[in-house]
Amino acid sequence: MDFFVQIIVSGLTFSAMYALAAVGLVLVWGAFNMLNMAHGIIMTLGAYFVLMWAELAGLPLILAAPVAMICGGLMGAFVYFASAHWMIKQRDFETTIIIATFGLGMAMEAGLLKLLAELFHSSPYAQPLSMGADSFLVAGVPVSYQRIIIWGAALILILILAAFLKRTSFGRAIRAVAQNSDAARLMGVRVRNVYIAVLALASALAGVSGIMLSSFKEVHPLMGGALMLKAFIVIVLAGLGNLTGALYAALLIGMVEATVKVLIADQYGFTAILILVILALIWKPAGIFGRSTVARQ
Amino acid sequence: MALFWKHRDFVIFAILLGVALAFPFMGIPRFILAAVLIMYCYATVVSQWNLVFGLAGIFSLAQVAIFAFGAYSTALLGRYLEMNLWYSFPIAGLGGILFSFLIGLACLRLRGIYVALLTLAVSQMMFVLIQTDAACSALNKAINPMSCVSFTGGSQGLGDFGSFGWRAVLGGRNWMTGDYYTMLGLLVIGLIVTYLITQSRMGLAFRALRDNEELARSRGISQYKYQLLVFGASAFLTAAAGGFYAAHFGAVGINLFGFPLLLFLISMLVVGGIGRLWGPLLGAALLMSADEVFKEFSDWRNVGLGIVVLLFMIFLPDGLAGGIDKLHKLAVRVFTRARTA
Repeated sequence: MDFFVQIIVSGLTFSAMYALAAVGLVLVWGAFNMLNMAHGIIMTLGAYFVLMWAELAGLPLILAAPVAMICGGLMGAFVYFASAHWMIKQRDFETTIIIATFGLGMAMEAGLLKLLAELFHSSPYAQPLSMGADSFLVAGVPVSYQRIIIWGAALILILILAAFLKRTSFGRAIRAVAQNSDAARLMGVRVRNVYIAVLALASALAGVSGIMLSSFKEVHPLMGGALMLKAFIVIVLAGLGNLTGALYAALLIGMVEATVKVLIADQYGFTAILILVILALIWKPAGIFGRSTVARQ
Repeated sequence: MALFWKHRDFVIFAILLGVALAFPFMGIPRFILAAVLIMYCYATVVSQWNLVFGLAGIFSLAQVAIFAFGAYSTALLGRYLEMNLWYSFPIAGLGGILFSFLIGLACLRLRGIYVALLTLAVSQMMFVLIQTDAACSALNKAINPMSCVSFTGGSQGLGDFGSFGWRAVLGGRNWMTGDYYTMLGLLVIGLIVTYLITQSRMGLAFRALRDNEELARSRGISQYKYQLLVFGASAFLTAAAGGFYAAHFGAVGINLFGFPLLLFLISMLVVGGIGRLWGPLLGAALLMSADEVFKEFSDWRNVGLGIVVLLFMIFLPDGLAGGIDKLHKLAVRVFTRARTA
């Protein structure tokens, strides 16, 4: 029984982070078939922005998180103007943008490592937003308050995102561009603004995901890479461009990873989800929710 | 001039091979010789990657993982079975074929983007598995009872598995020359294989698929079959190059699976020109030279490489080889116009 609770507790935490990271990737892919390989470094930067605003600028913690989120969004706009803006008309945009953003992400990561050596003396840092190990017991298993906050924050952000996409006119513009960007352009949607906004939105959410990861591990310059790959696996499993599918896939993958980590061993978590996804793709090559896609074909 | 352009591949090949063969006797300092032979190794890997990516159109990021797979197989065979490394290279190569067939069977039916993501995930998985491998292995207890080394060496890497053996033949001063010619041999085989594959039925099939996919398919050309073949064939030399790399350095480490090596190799491919015959060699030569020249700025290495990759993808996605082709076409047009006018 306590195994079961343990799996649910850590699985939901993984799922929350994967969902936030993956939703942004899906939005960007849906809007203009771009896979952003700099997503991982933006997650890392999200965690560092909190650190910088809280420790260096002395901002109260309750403000540091939203400010860090906005900074993450700005990084998304930066990625757009550094890469996609110049390449969007290229013949093999889908492929070339992956290589270009991979280069950009590596450059940002190496630059961050170099910069951090100057700003902070030792690299792994405690996340100031972390509430530590304070917890209460559920069926004999300690559940930290930190996890409750992570679940709540993820749920609220996803609900806000859904409301934004469904209810606001800009959200409608985003969905219109995802369905058919030429038609959207003819209807007077400023497609370029949608591209920038979508990347900024995705990056802000990625930043939050990075803050979450660092809040129960530590802030580390290379922490975003593995999280980004897992977010990629989530959207591949769901079928690229499928928003609700990505949420279910994040839940599934988080739970599977937690099960393997609790019942077998920590290091086989990634292997297990990768094998699961490969088997799922052999069975259904367009992803398990691949039918109802919002991506441009 | 036109005659040269027609046979340029053979002329360039002959000139370069002559220079490369004479290179160790030009009184070159040893550290340059060492850098050049590593460049040959990387150029072999990148030329095989070029076949997979440029010719067959498979956007695979597993090339570095296959390279590392070959290096680790060679190291494990040499260490635990005390196998002569010259026997373990072909075994590593065959293992590489098997490994890449497994990846290919799982990925190649999928759309291009999925292939990139899954192959990247596979190499990350191997990185994690080796990095977290910390249990002391009984096999290593047999070698050295005092030490605790895991089967794959974990995050510390693995050594003590032998070398090419040139030190015994050529002596302590000239063994590097032996390694040099070994790597050169590998690269020459790699380039010849690349050329033969592009000229073969397989190359023809890919050109047909690229020019008119529907027509090619309706004539019975199976993209999946040919892609799987190229993927497997290129894995042999890639894994063998990994074995050569391990034999030259006498050690393998977890960094073989890491992103920085992937970035370095992808920048060679991108700078040289994806899908161009001479692209990989050009890219490898330029980037290895840049690496040596800017050694004192090595802290900024990955920043520079990343920016180079980004700028090339934006402004020159066909690489320098593509740029030269474009210039030549432009020159021919200007020249013929001047003559007819």
